[in-house]
Amino acid sequence: MFLLWGKHINKYYLKYLIFFLVGLASLITVDWFQLELPEVLGSIVQYLKDHGTIDLTSPFFHDTMIHVIYLAFILLGGRVLWRLSLLFASKKIEAHMRHEIYLKAEALDVTYYHSHKIGNIMSWATNDLDTLEEFLGWGTLMMVDGIFLTSFAIVKMFVLTPSLGLISLLPIALIALVGALCSGAMSNRWRLRQEANDALYDFSQESFTGIRVIKAFVKEKQQIHEFRKIAKKSKDFDVKFVFVSTLFDVLIEIVIAVIVSIILGFGGWFVYAAITGNPVVIFDRPIIIQPGELVTFIGYFFSLIWPMIALGQVVTGFSKARASYHRIANFLDVPIDIVDSESAIDVDIKGNISFNHFSFTYPNTSKEVLHDITLEIKRGQQIGIVGTIGSGKTTLVNSLLHLYNINPHQVFIDGADISEIKVACLRGGVAIAPQDNFLFAGSILDNVALTDEEYDLDKVNKACDDADISKDIKDFKDGVNTLIAEGGVTVSGGQKQRISLARAIFKDSPILILDDVVSAVDIKTEENILHNIKENRADKTTLIVASRVSTVMHMDKIIVLNKGRLEAFDTPQNLLKCSETFKTMSLLQQFSVKKGDK
Amino acid sequence: MSNDLLKDKKIPLRTLFKRTWKYIAKEKWSFILSLALILITVVSGVILPRITGYYTDEITSINPSLNKIIWIAVLMLGMSIITQGFVLLETMILTKAGQRIVYSLRMEVFTLIESMSQNQFNDMAVGSLVTRVCNYTSQLSEFFTNILVKIVKDLSTVVVTYIWMMVLSYRLGLVLLGVVALIFVISYIFSVNVHRVFSRERKQISDLNTYLNESLSGMKIVQLFKQEKKFEKTFNKKNNEYFKTKYKVTIAFAIYRPLISLIYVLTLALIIYYGVRYNLTAGVIVSFYLFLDYFFEPVQSLADSLNHITRAVSAIERLYNLLDIEPEVVDSKNAIEVDHFNGKIEFRNVSFAYEEDNYILKDVSFVINPKETIAFVGETGSGKTTILNLIVRNFEPQKGDIFIDDINIKDIKLSSLRKLIGQMLQDVFLFTGSIRNNITLFDDSYSDSEINNAVKYVNADTFINSLPNKLDEQILEKGESLSTGQRQLLSFARTILAKPQIMILDEATANIDSETEAVIQSSLNNIKNIGTMLVVAHRLSTIKNADQIFVLSHGEIIEKGNHEELMKSQGYYYNLYKLQYSES
Repeated sequence: MFLLWGKHINKYYLKYLIFFLVGLASLITVDWFQLELPEVLGSIVQYLKDHGTIDLTSPFFHDTMIHVIYLAFILLGGRVLWRLSLLFASKKIEAHMRHEIYLKAEALDVTYYHSHKIGNIMSWATNDLDTLEEFLGWGTLMMVDGIFLTSFAIVKMFVLTPSLGLISLLPIALIALVGALCSGAMSNRWRLRQEANDALYDFSQESFTGIRVIKAFVKEKQQIHEFRKIAKKSKDFDVKFVFVSTLFDVLIEIVIAVIVSIILGFGGWFVYAAITGNPVVIFDRPIIIQPGELVTFIGYFFSLIWPMIALGQVVTGFSKARASYHRIANFLDVPIDIVDSESAIDVDIKGNISFNHFSFTYPNTSKEVLHDITLEIKRGQQIGIVGTIGSGKTTLVNSLLHLYNINPHQVFIDGADISEIKVACLRGGVAIAPQDNFLFAGSILDNVALTDEEYDLDKVNKACDDADISKDIKDFKDGVNTLIAEGGVTVSGGQKQRISLARAIFKDSPILILDDVVSAVDIKTEENILHNIKENRADKTTLIVASRVSTVMHMDKIIVLNKGRLEAFDTPQNLLKCSETFKTMSLLQQFSVKKGDK
Repeated sequence: MSNDLLKDKKIPLRTLFKRTWKYIAKEKWSFILSLALILITVVSGVILPRITGYYTDEITSINPSLNKIIWIAVLMLGMSIITQGFVLLETMILTKAGQRIVYSLRMEVFTLIESMSQNQFNDMAVGSLVTRVCNYTSQLSEFFTNILVKIVKDLSTVVVTYIWMMVLSYRLGLVLLGVVALIFVISYIFSVNVHRVFSRERKQISDLNTYLNESLSGMKIVQLFKQEKKFEKTFNKKNNEYFKTKYKVTIAFAIYRPLISLIYVLTLALIIYYGVRYNLTAGVIVSFYLFLDYFFEPVQSLADSLNHITRAVSAIERLYNLLDIEPEVVDSKNAIEVDHFNGKIEFRNVSFAYEEDNYILKDVSFVINPKETIAFVGETGSGKTTILNLIVRNFEPQKGDIFIDDINIKDIKLSSLRKLIGQMLQDVFLFTGSIRNNITLFDDSYSDSEINNAVKYVNADTFINSLPNKLDEQILEKGESLSTGQRQLLSFARTILAKPQIMILDEATANIDSETEAVIQSSLNNIKNIGTMLVVAHRLSTIKNADQIFVLSHGEIIEKGNHEELMKSQGYYYNLYKLQYSES
């Protein structure tokens, strides 16, 4: 607080203003009243000096005891309150901003994720927020103490005895100086130590990840040799850091001792001179200090030490927090590419698709991936899509999901321009089982019934049946409740694909896209899946990207792509006559099947 | 099977102590010396409040002596400087000893891990191995240099302070005994509870991280299935839980810390009250007041240390569990050392399955003559890469045998086998470091001219020389700045430098620009001359130039012959060629 401003955080200052204010008020109260403790001690010493003893029944003693006890409870209240309010606000802000980061991450499209590492987002949402939170909470505490406690104590020291105040003020500046010098050296050494430590992590991580190469070239000894260097460096930097930080503590202690000795020496001299009747005269003014006042003075000085050190730390804390904040703010400010236009509409998707001279180039690239595709798909049709690797099959089906912005008036669903359909509505009506069959940690049930929180178990089972994964699921100990990954079964690639397929089937959308999902399963399973889909999706549109001709042989029509162009769009029977690519593919397939059957 | 090797096994405390003693014994003089220094600093530190007390008595006396006052001030400074000097000395001795222990432990753990087999590696998460190398080792040393030593320090501070208080005024000392006990009990209860909340906090943040990682990785699916709201809800639930736990920690501290400071101020009241009641001098009262700091802090940290012990023990246990793993020895007893291969390779009825009954290779037999170049061609999953894996014994076939120069490879020492077979893998793994490091794999025994020759041999010199620092150019971001082709060239150079006699190459499928393609081609032509070469081929040129092409389908070799022969027979290869390369 105080120093860190920005549009992503100011609103939270306002929201939690009352907590910040209560926190500040309590802190200042604590700062004020804790300086009364040395005064109490001083007054006791003075009383003893003046009277020799204290009568337990005297009003002075009575008042003193009451004073200490009420101080104790004021300090208790203040200290409880500032923690509860200030740290509440800082932690709340942390949680809010983490939520914002997540919302932003959800709003960003695949283009962003292609060019950015998710590790960064993770680190903004954890490490950087931690740094920020610490500065908002503890940084504020240090700043308040650094400003208020310091000035209260210094003012009180001067009011009590200006000359001793002056004498001790100069060396007090030494604390700040030592603090500044050491914290510079320390943060430097700390960074070096951290780097050496990171190197240790990185090296072992890499060595264990690349163990195949190391074993292939029989270089284990060299790895160990290299690790030895890094471990040694880490050891040396660790020792160096501990040295500087211990040196800092030691120097601060010695500076404190110097100042205490100065106060004791000069103060003692002043007191002695005053008692013996020849007060020391500085600038024509006799200095008269009572022993009790000297004790109080020392007490003030001790209260100064922590806030002086804290002030130094605030500076480094602030620069770290500011850097963290900027990283987070930069992320929150990333423009979002896929947004509904103002005129975007909701469409009741039926399943008619048309491409009208559709061409597509991926963002930030120059190569056109699809050229001038024109074709029409009617509701209820089953369409196969084939072509060699890199011919644009996946790009074509992805265009129906508005993953990338596409040119207007080129792709239509039920007559509506796809770029004018609300993204949520569009994706609600189109289901896809993509090539990279990502499954979430959790149960199979959670994955299949992704789109429905109050799923109907029968519907889940039906989807699993249709994807021909039910048999596999039955073999798992907990059936559909079996956990995938962490602590559960490891599913094979083929099983993953079929679960991903079940997830798409479960959604039961007017348009279903299978992007090469049946290529990894055997012929029998493929036949089952295709049969099930045909049966259940008579009035709905289905697009199947395939690498095997056998997959699409019974489709209504097949799209044959060749280097981004539409080579043919026709029934399988016609294609065998007119499409070169299709003919070759089919020949190859027959050959391979024949050989496999022998 | 997974994680079985790293399962936590309980180790009896006695054994634990005995094993750990092995590391400590080497540093016993450092420990003894620093313990002695600690005792000195504790005693000299505790003198300071008493000196302040004498001073107070002096200035409040009827006839103060200026000499005494000045001497006390000087004494304070002197004592302080000496004490701090000892503190610095003691800390450094201990830190160095601790770091030496960490260092030797790390070397021991790392060496062990490097000697484990590929198979054992597959069973362990890299992350947990890294934690053992980096964290648990330092936790073990910290246990001795920090926790145990701190316990000694705190305990002796409390004891020495207490003795001194008893000497000053046994009656006030007895009163304060109650305070000491009270702080200890409160601190202990707090510490046990707050650590419980802390560990929940740690679990929740790691949960939150896992979830974040998971949903960011699957963000495409989340968006495609428009599940943003649902995921946000779950995330927010976890986020809020984490906030609540964090705030619970705050509340715990918001009670504990102020409570301790309340006790502190009330203890001051006690000192004043009893000090006055027992007619103690101002100096004694001031001494007692300053003594407060000498047992408030140590008693709290003592209570906390008890908690740390249990956590440190579990880290040490895990470390020892890892150290107990025996490296799988793969060399058979009578395995022989080989220093030369002619390069004849024979597969005799080899069958292999990763999973039971799902055979990737079915009864494969073939003979490759020395110096021949063989290209393996076929669809994904037809078994091409598996053949290469079997030759270097990354896996063992279930049936059949493999021979090199008519020696069964099971009878050849693994290190000889792998040294003589150069592997160029499709996914070129690059290590952080310079280009040089990646070619030599951190082996310093190669001379510059050897490296340069290897680089030139594979035509990698042009691209390396165009880099600002040439061979010493640092590789950033795991080599993402290098193109696929350049990475492949580095892999070639790496292999050539190792002077293999048989080469296996899994060609990269990713796009390579035509210029690099030409470089790679001529480089491969050079490499071919070294000896027998087996290539999983994707490039047409590689295939065309091969002495023999093995066409694989479903784990079987369905066609064999050179390019012309196979084209003539118009079989599978002919069609594949037409489909993929017709336009090239």
